[in-house]
Amino acid sequence: MTPVHFSFSSAFILGLMGLAFHRTHLLSALLCLEGIILSLFIALALWALQFESTSFSTAPILLLAFSACEASAGLALLVATARTHGTDRLQNLNLLQC
Amino acid sequence: MTYFVFLLLVALIVGLIAVASNPTPYFAALGLVVAAGVGCGVLVGCGGSFLSLVLFLIYLGGMLVVFAYSAALAAEPFPEAWGSRSVAGYVSVYFAGVALMAGLLWGGWYEGSWVTIDGLKEFSMLRGDVGGVAMMYSFGGAMLVICAWVLLLTLLVVLELTRGLSRGTLRAV
Repeated sequence: MTPVHFSFSSAFILGLMGLAFHRTHLLSALLCLEGIILSLFIALALWALQFESTSFSTAPILLLAFSACEASAGLALLVATARTHGTDRLQNLNLLQC
Repeated sequence: MTYFVFLLLVALIVGLIAVASNPTPYFAALGLVVAAGVGCGVLVGCGGSFLSLVLFLIYLGGMLVVFAYSAALAAEPFPEAWGSRSVAGYVSVYFAGVALMAGLLWGGWYEGSWVTIDGLKEFSMLRGDVGGVAMMYSFGGAMLVICAWVLLLTLLVVLELTRGLSRGTLRAV
């Protein structure tokens, strides 16, 4: 496995594990999601560069546009959580209260 | 030059370990800024300077700034950096996992992945990645229009999520 391939693959898996094992804050889960998007951008851009298929360079740009949509939806949910429950700590997200 | 790009790849993994170990979100955003910066360096090292610039402007300058001031929503009186006991446990487990996988996948470590694009060509008018992205405006015009509509839809989604009046996701007001 080449070093470049290993580094963005392990970056993806690390972000995924950080998202799965998040501890206290909702925002840290959203930041791990942003780390996953970053590793995917680097992977697609390096695909286009190292295989010299330059018409594939539009794929990382489109990925960035859709990831901006996803980040803004996640942050809107974070704001709604913070305004409803007073904080974004996950121990406050129990379903018996409203 | 090769060793410099290798150092940037190591810094990318270390930055994402810093994010994935889930400290207080201030420090996780710092780790993400460092990881995005060295990711831009890796792309420049492989010849994609336009894509690196796009990543810097849109990702770091747009999205991460929004995350940085949203970190004010996660303020706590005793922030936990990477030295506190539980976060340091996660950091050490992730470092051990990455080192183990690097040791297992050691074969083929120095194969050819360091060639920059346009490095072996003659003098040309178009750079590789700039010419590729420009195709988004010609043959990829439909995808561009779809992207614009999706962004408008996301604006409406965000405004609807934070509308309030006890009918949506916002129930306290």
